[in-house]
Amino acid sequence: MANITKKVSWSSRGDESGPAGEETPLLNGSEQSRPLTQVHQVLRSTLRGRPKEIPHNEKLLSLKYEVKPVASKIVIFSIIGSMRTSQCLIELIRASFLASLTHIFSDIVKFTEAGGLSISLILWVVLNCVFVMLGAIMVAFFEPIAAGSGIPQIKCYLNGVKIPRVVRLKTLLVKVLGVICSVVGGLAVGKEGPMIHSGAVVAAGVSQGRSTSLKRDFKIFEYFRRDTEKRDFVSAGAAAGVSAAFGAPVGGVLFSLEEGASFWNQMLTWRIFFASMISTFTLNFILSIYHNKPGDLSNPGLINFGRFESEVMEYNLYEIPLFMGMGALGGMLGALFNVLNYWLTIFRIRYVHRPCLQVMEAMLVAAVTATVAFIMIYFSTDCQPLGPDHNEEYPLQLFCADGEYNSMATAFFNTPERSVRSLLHNPRGTYNALTLGLFTLTYFFLACWTYGLSVSAGVFIPSLLIGAAWGRLCGILLTWADPGKYALIGAAAQLGGIVRMTLSLTVIMVEATGNVTYGLPIMLVLMTAKIVGDYFQEGLYDIHIKLQSVPFLHWEAPATSHWLTAREVMSSPVTCLNRIEKVGTIVDILSNTSTNHNGFPVVAQVSADDEPAKLCGLILRSQLIVLLKHKVFVELARSRLSQRKLQLKDFRDAYPRFPPIQSIHVSQDERECMMDLTEFMNPTPYTVPQETSLPRVFKLFRALGLRHLVVVDDANRVVGLVTRKDLARYHLGKHGLEELQLAQT
Amino acid sequence: MSLHRYNSVFVLIFINSYAFGVFDAVNVTAPVSATTPQQAPSYVSPGSSAVVSPVVFKPAVEPAFSVALRSSFPEDLEVSEYCAELLRLFGQRYVAFVDCLVPAARPVKVCQNCFPEYHSLSEVFLNISSDQMGPGNVSCRDSILRSDRLMLVFLLNSNMDTIWQRSNCIQCVKDLSGPNNDTLYYLTLLNQTITCFEKYKQGNLTELCKNCKDAYKRLNDLYSRMEGNKTLCIDLEDAMNVTRKLWSKNFGCSIPREETIPVIAVSCFMLFLPIIFYLSSFLHSEQKKRKLIHPNRAKSYASLMNIQDKRS
Repeated sequence: MANITKKVSWSSRGDESGPAGEETPLLNGSEQSRPLTQVHQVLRSTLRGRPKEIPHNEKLLSLKYEVKPVASKIVIFSIIGSMRTSQCLIELIRASFLASLTHIFSDIVKFTEAGGLSISLILWVVLNCVFVMLGAIMVAFFEPIAAGSGIPQIKCYLNGVKIPRVVRLKTLLVKVLGVICSVVGGLAVGKEGPMIHSGAVVAAGVSQGRSTSLKRDFKIFEYFRRDTEKRDFVSAGAAAGVSAAFGAPVGGVLFSLEEGASFWNQMLTWRIFFASMISTFTLNFILSIYHNKPGDLSNPGLINFGRFESEVMEYNLYEIPLFMGMGALGGMLGALFNVLNYWLTIFRIRYVHRPCLQVMEAMLVAAVTATVAFIMIYFSTDCQPLGPDHNEEYPLQLFCADGEYNSMATAFFNTPERSVRSLLHNPRGTYNALTLGLFTLTYFFLACWTYGLSVSAGVFIPSLLIGAAWGRLCGILLTWADPGKYALIGAAAQLGGIVRMTLSLTVIMVEATGNVTYGLPIMLVLMTAKIVGDYFQEGLYDIHIKLQSVPFLHWEAPATSHWLTAREVMSSPVTCLNRIEKVGTIVDILSNTSTNHNGFPVVAQVSADDEPAKLCGLILRSQLIVLLKHKVFVELARSRLSQRKLQLKDFRDAYPRFPPIQSIHVSQDERECMMDLTEFMNPTPYTVPQETSLPRVFKLFRALGLRHLVVVDDANRVVGLVTRKDLARYHLGKHGLEELQLAQT
Repeated sequence: MSLHRYNSVFVLIFINSYAFGVFDAVNVTAPVSATTPQQAPSYVSPGSSAVVSPVVFKPAVEPAFSVALRSSFPEDLEVSEYCAELLRLFGQRYVAFVDCLVPAARPVKVCQNCFPEYHSLSEVFLNISSDQMGPGNVSCRDSILRSDRLMLVFLLNSNMDTIWQRSNCIQCVKDLSGPNNDTLYYLTLLNQTITCFEKYKQGNLTELCKNCKDAYKRLNDLYSRMEGNKTLCIDLEDAMNVTRKLWSKNFGCSIPREETIPVIAVSCFMLFLPIIFYLSSFLHSEQKKRKLIHPNRAKSYASLMNIQDKRS
């Protein structure tokens, strides 16, 4: 099999043989065209040779070549699933670490009984600050992209935007260590967003079969060193992350579908599902070893909402309007959260942009979080008797009578996941209404303040916690009902109101609670929350994407954009290159920092006075850089015939870190050389006529994942170029269609 | 009498043909008598009523009922003499145990007071349930425990077992020898504390808090240690609960909420820090400005103005 596939020459997968395949350029968005046409040629030639019957021959087998990458894809997807191992371990370490820290705090309180509680407050603040400082320094100074939950970045990446360094090993390390620091530091954060991000990074890394940071190349999976392939793996990684975090494999797949993958097909769905299932399996396996029951695979996810008793889960028809009312409340609270966070983020971008200031801000937030929690605990009079089966790991007594614990302290000290669980499941009477109200209020503002700091931290669990707290409050006020049920609904409503996901969130909640009974109410609640929330403000992730000025393309073009044509959208005039171009010109164009173009149409002959010239193809900056690096000049090729030909492998090896143009040295003599771009350019770029409407252009970009679209006139002459930025600048504002301005960097 | 004999033969056939083993008399006679009402009109109504609600009608129908029982079964299906004796013993000890339990309910002294009764009860039950053959080669396990749907003896015993398990008495009282050393030590400490409480109760409560603190603390620490070891039973837990309630609620000796002022001062300082931080960064840090790029557009309709015009 291996021999046969090696002989097959139509593919562009970088084997030694096959003259056509080797020089096939890396195409942008239209990689499939060349191989397919060649298959047709192969088939046609065989047909011509033997018209009626086609005996078995090796060339026909060539279609089976697809099997190999598919098989290795499955392998990789399963590896992605199981690479969650390391993260599980980190999680477990973190969990035990955190527990011991809480223990330390109770000890502090105990031992400082004589010394005064203000001392213990200061100790606590300092301890938290130190951890948060570590996390913030890592993020602010080493890898700013690791800040926040990472879901906006992954969303952009999957949308087709190239976000630098988002799937690097360094990002993964900073992210994982940073999230440990921020959770241990007592910030109002969760670890789910970072887990999803790190899942995506692991996937991207594994699929490439090497690490450029570690300078190791394992010489495998070279086929996948392309943007489109990598994107598939990243979406699978995100799905695996969700599935490990919430124990929700289907939810993970739908999360990728809803939030991420722009380019979707049935096979990919299946593979992603496969990866998520493997991920759940691996997690369970590791957990079973951790719990000393190896082989027991029925553990739920890392965040376990616990199982509901069946009689608690009963709900009635009359409760559905109540649920939807809670959904509306969740939508409003979510919108409030988003508005506050929007203002805060704008302020941060404008004024708190230096790394040392960011670290200071994070430390201050940690200090205030600790102080507020301390004040609440100090003045709380809500004492609950210790149950025979402690739900609370480290009950803190403080001023309560012996044999009782301060329930406010429990609410703040437990890990947020545990608090959510106890809000969902503890029997009626465990929480006092006043405690819950105060807790919701403070946690709401703390979480809102914390999100957007330069620490790696997610927003899933804080919003679930806020929602579960006010939901339980509703349940307590409705005296007849079981409060746990309302806590679940509140949690869903709040989270839906903040992140505005519907489909995946419904399934995640259903899977995380392990109960399908609540599918309908949760769906209704999330829908209401989204509708109400969208009326006021966008979802949190969209806000952050917007504030990062990312050219993000939504599913549809803005509604009133039909009358815009490609002619108005495109950039013009275009910097074009000749088929045979002088090296000096290329270097100058690439070095021009003010334009920083990425794709260049190749034309027959550039005329002097910007007259449109006939389009021949499209070449990318990265390709030009590789060509310059290997000095593929016409003169050199003539003089050194023995020089080895440039192969597709050279392009793949450079991916994804193409060196900047400044690092490539071109001597004065070489500047006079010529470069023949004909065999490296994409000869069949996507083009549209000038009169194409914006929605149509938009659809092309969105469906094909294009980055450049050449606009031509009726004689196939280049008149303009449409990029993502040209499309993303139109958006629907309050006064109809608005145009965003473009800014540098 | 002949009617009855006929009836019992019928029952035998019934039993053999269905191979159900030994049947409860009441259960079997009821359907049979229902199918042959004209043959035994005399006892149909008491019999069936006894089936429906034996407790209510028991005093009234007992004579007729016992007559029916005694005369309807042959010897080998009856409970043997030995087993009946065991059953009677079980009943006595059961009553003794319950008699002990009820007065020990509040304050809870179940484990200390009732362990001998529990042990004798479980001894009898062990005899009943063992599959060893008693005198006359009979095993009472099947005839007493498993002959009917109700399995009354088993049910009674398992109830008592549940009480014993939930009270966790096994941690304090291992066997007949009585409470173990830990429990005894704990009880001594408890007594000391209570005595101390009694001593100072009349006077100033702060005096009590000061003087009994040592005893109480020792007791509390021991309790926590035993809680960690899981060597607590309901007696000790309840005693501790009451003591703690006395200490914290009645005497008000838990940690007082003092030194509020330093705590408030420290927290105010902490809460003011971010305000200072944000103000200073707003005033002193230079605002980040972004440079705009003027994109190259086709000359004709480049600006949004034109777009708006075109639209209107």
